[in-house]
Amino acid sequence: MTVDSLTFVGESLFGPAATVDELLRALDATEIERAVVCPQRPQSYRLEDANDAVAAAVGRHPDRLVGFARVDPNQGDAAAAELARATGDLGLGGLFLHPWEETFRVHDERVVQLLDGFALPVIVAAGYPWLSEGAQVGELARRLPEVDVVATNGCQINISGLGQTDAELALAANANLAVQTTGVYREDFLEGVVERLGAERLLYASGFPYFDPRLEVLRARWAPGFDDRTKAVVLGGNAERLFHLE
Amino acid sequence: MPALGWVLEAAHVVRRLDEAGIDRGVVMTIVDAPEVNPNALELVAEACAAYPGRLEAFARIHPWYGDWSLDLLDRAIGELGFKGLKLHPVSTIAHPGGEETLRLIRRAAEHSAPTLFHCGDEPLTTPLTIAHAAAACPEATIILGHMGGYVHADEAIDVAERFPNLMLETSAMPYPAKVSAAVERLGPERVLYASDGPACSPRIELEKVRLAGLDPAAERLVTGGNAERILAAVT
Repeated sequence: MTVDSLTFVGESLFGPAATVDELLRALDATEIERAVVCPQRPQSYRLEDANDAVAAAVGRHPDRLVGFARVDPNQGDAAAAELARATGDLGLGGLFLHPWEETFRVHDERVVQLLDGFALPVIVAAGYPWLSEGAQVGELARRLPEVDVVATNGCQINISGLGQTDAELALAANANLAVQTTGVYREDFLEGVVERLGAERLLYASGFPYFDPRLEVLRARWAPGFDDRTKAVVLGGNAERLFHLE
Repeated sequence: MPALGWVLEAAHVVRRLDEAGIDRGVVMTIVDAPEVNPNALELVAEACAAYPGRLEAFARIHPWYGDWSLDLLDRAIGELGFKGLKLHPVSTIAHPGGEETLRLIRRAAEHSAPTLFHCGDEPLTTPLTIAHAAAACPEATIILGHMGGYVHADEAIDVAERFPNLMLETSAMPYPAKVSAAVERLGPERVLYASDGPACSPRIELEKVRLAGLDPAAERLVTGGNAERILAAVT
């Protein structure tokens, strides 16, 4: 099974919109079978509506899409209630947190309390300055050792490579942390994760529609240091295991 | 001398160029001369000499060494055949509009050599910050490397529209659509393919430009013609 472990549908307050049909066409164009689909923050600010829309999309395409919930930890008890509704009533398979767009430190006490005892995987929009840098995502993973944490963007967004070492240290210190390939231009970082920490720590993700899947998929498919087994787990096997896909 | 634990060999660069079907590459050190590597110019010159016709050199120089920095640039271009100046304000913490930096850029322009800035998302490297140098040195060709990085690509295109002496370089910036937007708004003569190899993939970076969907003439300029023109002008 091949899986794109991070995509978005719906309108966004901040960025490009994407329909479910556009997502499915992007998957077909890159020969990817399934996708984890996350809610965008809508113009209304109501993440509940976005969670409903993702659940509806999954309901129409259960063989292609796996939905994740999105909540704002700043909302305290209301966030916990929505998380319970989204992963219970709506049947969504995990939680997506965006510390930049919702504005919270990823290892804030409210986040730790929200996720204490959470049994599903958590994808964190990582690499954002002050809020979800590599060391901060690592701290979240350290405080929640029973939770599988997946960091977008290789756990770094820095075109000088300045975030690379913190990302590597966070991965080395926390076995429950994995990273996605989205936008990671340094092939040696991706290969280093596989060599030093194991292929099970790296997941292909396109970040559609923010990133172009036609380019992003090449980071896994064309990596000269990846053997066939590594490509298989990065392009799907790890998502299948972490996100409990059938 | 490695930075961030990176050690990049010339042979690796050439091997990766070969994998991508690229004829020639511009190379530079990943630290500055004269500090922290006083032998940076010789290191790059030897690498280029080992692969004649394949590698061209840019001199990465720290602006804060006054006349010494200028002498290094003169020697690099005049004696060693270097083709440009590289400035990386993340390592030098020298403001692009600072007088020490401007002196180097102007000296490069006297040789008709371009100045390549690291241009990303970090302080001192964003397009609007480097625009101070573009405004102060209109006679200089200044290249915005990475064309603004992850979140400043639109700003890079905006700034290049205002300053005709700016060019954009495509490496690492992850959006094919921004490459096509740059070509559309600036013209294909002002956009340069680059890979940031060998740790980044020249093959993937080239595919990024192809995914931009440029017409064949524009793609030829971006992937080689513009660089040939700039390198040939250096005296």
